[in-house]
Amino acid sequence: MATRGPAPRLPRVVRPYVLTGGRTRPVGPILALDTTVRTTTTDSHLDPQTPESSRILELCDAPTSIAELAGRLTIPVGVVRVLVDDLGTLGAVTVNPPTPAAATDAGLLERLLDGIRAL
Amino acid sequence: MASVLFDQRARPAAAPTTMKIVIAGGFAVGKTTFVGSISEIEPLRTEAEMTVESLGVDHAGPLGGAKRGTTVAMDFGRITIDTDMALYLFGTPGQDRFWFLWDELVRGAVGAVVLVDTRRLQECFAAVDYFEHLGLPFVVAVNLFDGVATHHPRDVREALAVPANVPVVLCDARRRTHVQETLILLVEGALRRVAGAA
Repeated sequence: MATRGPAPRLPRVVRPYVLTGGRTRPVGPILALDTTVRTTTTDSHLDPQTPESSRILELCDAPTSIAELAGRLTIPVGVVRVLVDDLGTLGAVTVNPPTPAAATDAGLLERLLDGIRAL
Repeated sequence: MASVLFDQRARPAAAPTTMKIVIAGGFAVGKTTFVGSISEIEPLRTEAEMTVESLGVDHAGPLGGAKRGTTVAMDFGRITIDTDMALYLFGTPGQDRFWFLWDELVRGAVGAVVLVDTRRLQECFAAVDYFEHLGLPFVVAVNLFDGVATHHPRDVREALAVPANVPVVLCDARRRTHVQETLILLVEGALRRVAGAA
């Protein structure tokens, strides 16, 4: 057993895909776990349909990954993908997919290395 | 936040560059501890359905007949590198027999850390094979349970038959400096590989 870790999650009150009206796939492309999401606007006339969507808009005031959203909301990644896709359609968030080429970019790796050394 | 200059840099839709490192290893080998030692947030548990389209008949057993997807839980941590760069750490699910599910997790990763418990060395074989096969830079980190080294890294290297360019280090996953050093070795290796290919 790990000596410490995330707190045990509470039992779900509703089945997760109820939050998406039963939809399991986003309309747009499947967002990677490390795609970052950012809220585009703070004045919300957009009226998100669920508390989870409102929470996503709050969290994404700073760019936040799909994986982190799922962890913070304690809902599965698949559900987050659908909710974020909906918010994107409303224009409430922008999504920024990762660029796989970053992993082999010497300049970016050097910055990463400097950053880790400075921790 | 007070500076106009900073706001102009930070507020546009442009997102930070994100880098990703995967932490692998067998069940209860200390992956969550490793992530938590250096992450600036408490490790989050993220549930995802991973695709199993490539699933062969040989692998159907452990999944209990799941054909299209299986739900796995991973740890997520992050580190702010600078104003425009974040590092994401993904701790994989405990059982490495699910490694073939992880193509989507590893895509675009800088590299991986394979955490090893010398009492259950065989549990990391699948991860080592997987990263070697992918050609992904990785480091083998022997977790020092109770802070005690029971095996020399040289013996672990021999037992795992990892190539000479793969670092094998001792690492107490509870200690931030050990975790930091392990990540440094990994990124240095990734850089060397890029420089070598150039």
